Amino acid sequence: MRLVRYTYPTTRSLVPAYGSTFRNPWSGLEGEIDRLFESALGDFVGASAAPDRFPVDLYEDKDNTYVRAELPGVERADINVEMVEDYLTITAARKTKDGENEQSFSFSRSVTIPGAVQPDKVAAAYENGVLTVTLPKREEAKPRKISVSIN
Amino acid sequence: MSLLESIIPKLNRTVACADEAKPAAPAIKPRYEVKEAADAFALTVQMPGVAKEGLSITAEDDTLTIRGERGWKRPVGWTSLYRESSDLAYELVLQHDNAVDGDKIHAELRDGVLRVALPKTEARKPRKIAVS
Repeated sequence: MRLVRYTYPTTRSLVPAYGSTFRNPWSGLEGEIDRLFESALGDFVGASAAPDRFPVDLYEDKDNTYVRAELPGVERADINVEMVEDYLTITAARKTKDGENEQSFSFSRSVTIPGAVQPDKVAAAYENGVLTVTLPKREEAKPRKISVSIN
Repeated sequence: MSLLESIIPKLNRTVACADEAKPAAPAIKPRYEVKEAADAFALTVQMPGVAKEGLSITAEDDTLTIRGERGWKRPVGWTSLYRESSDLAYELVLQHDNAVDGDKIHAELRDGVLRVALPKTEARKPRKIAVS
């Protein structure tokens, strides 16, 4: 059940700006039609929406920062992880074979890694279609306990 | 119930079926693709994070249910800074009108992609009829 509230135009609502305050009588129906299209086509559109963007998660613990990316069905050789300053870039290519046509499809994401990272110690693992990149923090970025002597 | 939904009730049929089957366990619908050949359907489902142990495929009369629990849990001590993925399980319910031979279903899970071969029942395969 959907209630479309109709407000009588009062002098106050009509005077300052007619167009902005006056409710379009069709707006309820337009919204309904938009919603119907989204719900009916969502199954088909949703499956292929933004195929070049894969979800990325960022985690942190005491010693490392972790990036997890969902990359189902990609060969390990086609995954490329690069670290440039604070940016981690993950590039992947997926090859699909449809009969004799072979299609290659590449996508990439860049993430800013908070805090200083030791770039030569970055490691990555790929399991069950999820890539996990482990980025060890630099000593100065790690939380430190400093005991202060009180006189 | 909106007016348009009551005129065209079929549009929400798949959603309603999924809700009735498993009201308790929340799940998301994975990306999938179905291709049809002469003697079988080929189903490809993308389920990143699902290991073989967490996957269950159930074939009932006319329904094929695929459920995948994520094998990875956030270790203790990890704090999430930014999330885009979901921790929910995947669930896909497909209805096939008894066109699939439930005994001959073959499934293969590799790198988070599930490929299921669904052979058609003998009665549904195309037959050539010789004209005498």
